Amino acid sequence: MIKVNNLVKVFSGRGKPVRAVDNVSTQVSKGEVVVIIGPSGSGKSTFLRCLNGLEAFDDGQVIIDGVDLGDSKTNINTVRREVGMVFQHFNLFPHKTVLENVTLAQRVVRRRKPAEAEDKAMALLTKVGIAEKAHEYPSRLSGGQQQRVAIARALAMDPKVMLFDEPTSALDPEMVGEVLDVMQQLAREGMTMAVVTHEMGFAREVAHRVMFMDAGKILEDAPPMVFFTAPKEPRAQTFLKQVL
Amino acid sequence: MPLNRHPTQWPWHGLLALILLSLAAGLWVATKRVNYEWRWERVPQYFFYQAEDAQSAPVAGTITQIRPDGARSRVDITPANGAQAVSVTVETDTLKVKVGETVTEDSDIGALRQWKIGPLTWGLWVTIWISFVSGFIGLFIGLITGLCRLSPNPTLRGLAVFYIELIRGTPLLVQIFIFYFFIGTVLNLDRIVAGIGALALFVGAYTAEIIRAGIQSIAKGQSEAARSLGMTAAQTMTHIVLPQALKRVLPPLAGQFINLIKDSSLVSVIAITDLTKSGREIITSSFATFEIWFTVALLYLVVTSLLSQLLFWLERRFARSD
Repeated sequence: MIKVNNLVKVFSGRGKPVRAVDNVSTQVSKGEVVVIIGPSGSGKSTFLRCLNGLEAFDDGQVIIDGVDLGDSKTNINTVRREVGMVFQHFNLFPHKTVLENVTLAQRVVRRRKPAEAEDKAMALLTKVGIAEKAHEYPSRLSGGQQQRVAIARALAMDPKVMLFDEPTSALDPEMVGEVLDVMQQLAREGMTMAVVTHEMGFAREVAHRVMFMDAGKILEDAPPMVFFTAPKEPRAQTFLKQVL
Repeated sequence: MPLNRHPTQWPWHGLLALILLSLAAGLWVATKRVNYEWRWERVPQYFFYQAEDAQSAPVAGTITQIRPDGARSRVDITPANGAQAVSVTVETDTLKVKVGETVTEDSDIGALRQWKIGPLTWGLWVTIWISFVSGFIGLFIGLITGLCRLSPNPTLRGLAVFYIELIRGTPLLVQIFIFYFFIGTVLNLDRIVAGIGALALFVGAYTAEIIRAGIQSIAKGQSEAARSLGMTAAQTMTHIVLPQALKRVLPPLAGQFINLIKDSSLVSVIAITDLTKSGREIITSSFATFEIWFTVALLYLVVTSLLSQLLFWLERRFARSD
């Protein structure tokens, strides 16, 4: 489903250029849940953002469901429809109600009829357990509720892949659970997911594979059982010691 | 003693009233000193006045009948050759003929009175519609320029910067002259069109900067979220970024449009009879200099405060989602 070959992303702002993603190659097959962990600044978010072209990568290849993102003939917007993304800071549209947040892209991108889009939105809002807030504005919702709306918004496009960029990092501790529950349910339903997170419990329970990134490279890529009990890389060992 | 004390307010209100009163008193003393005679009663006629329109006999003949018709009278004139009587309507109190009198053609019968719009009202209307039209066009220009200013295309960006700097760096008065005497002559423009064009270009440059700032103030995550859903750059702009940006820039935009109404007084230099020019013209005939300028100022104040109330109301409406 996702295929990455020799991906490179260089940030060349002030000072010397930083290779945020440094020659990364990996694959995620259909229905697989991959959790990417690593210290901050390790390039895991940048890597994730390269997967839907939010970050323009400098070299290498990203292929989503057979479509090469870097190909000049590829319409990036068509690819993004198939790749849902959930952000750390939710990024709900504050001037639209919860329902409008979920229906907008369905209408303007998927060209669905208003009634159809609304039915779909209500079904998804019910699924993430927040249907009663459909007509509220996002500012009236708690962080956990907002993030669940954001997940519903992404799912409304019927994506083939879901990317989660630290979806629980900006939440109050007691709200982390409700978001993780929704994500776990998605994983059970067979969604292909790439998740950048610091929730080791989620990685252990839900992930099929755990990737450990540092300095732009994937240092370790193993099933959670293996990774959490016997990490090979010394840097992964140190990291786990600090977070567990 | 609680920290949340409620200090007595009334002495301060009293002080405010005192200051305003002494200002008014100062004004009064000042006008006394220059020996100015206030003639406020002369002002209303410049808003609305009753014009007398003299009515004359269309034919020569004899007045055969005068019938009252409300405050007016209908005068029937029968021509000497015995043809059909012709009737003329005039105000009864201006009637100058009696029954049986013989009149020649074009002789005065009386007058009709009609309410007419005075120069102040007319000037106010010109100011309002010129400001409205140029504001509307200016907003459009500003929107386009603001978007060009943020475009990745260097040509569009360069043009936008050039336009904004050109307009912001020169006085509006000079722009109006250039627009009227140069561009207006080359393109054979009407003075009204030239005036509106100059004002629209002027307000457009400032609006562009306001809109650019508004767009840039919207968090990057908003457009990222929209793009991640597959929206195009244009869809993201129209559905996500611009609505939020416009809401945010409403207060500075309001200031800009209030400025526009005031700046529109400068078009009087190319002989457009707006409120300011009407005022100047009235003064040359009425000599009520102080009264007319105060009235003109008050009229501008009324228009601008109505506009700011309107925008304030809009702002509160948009605040629904906060």
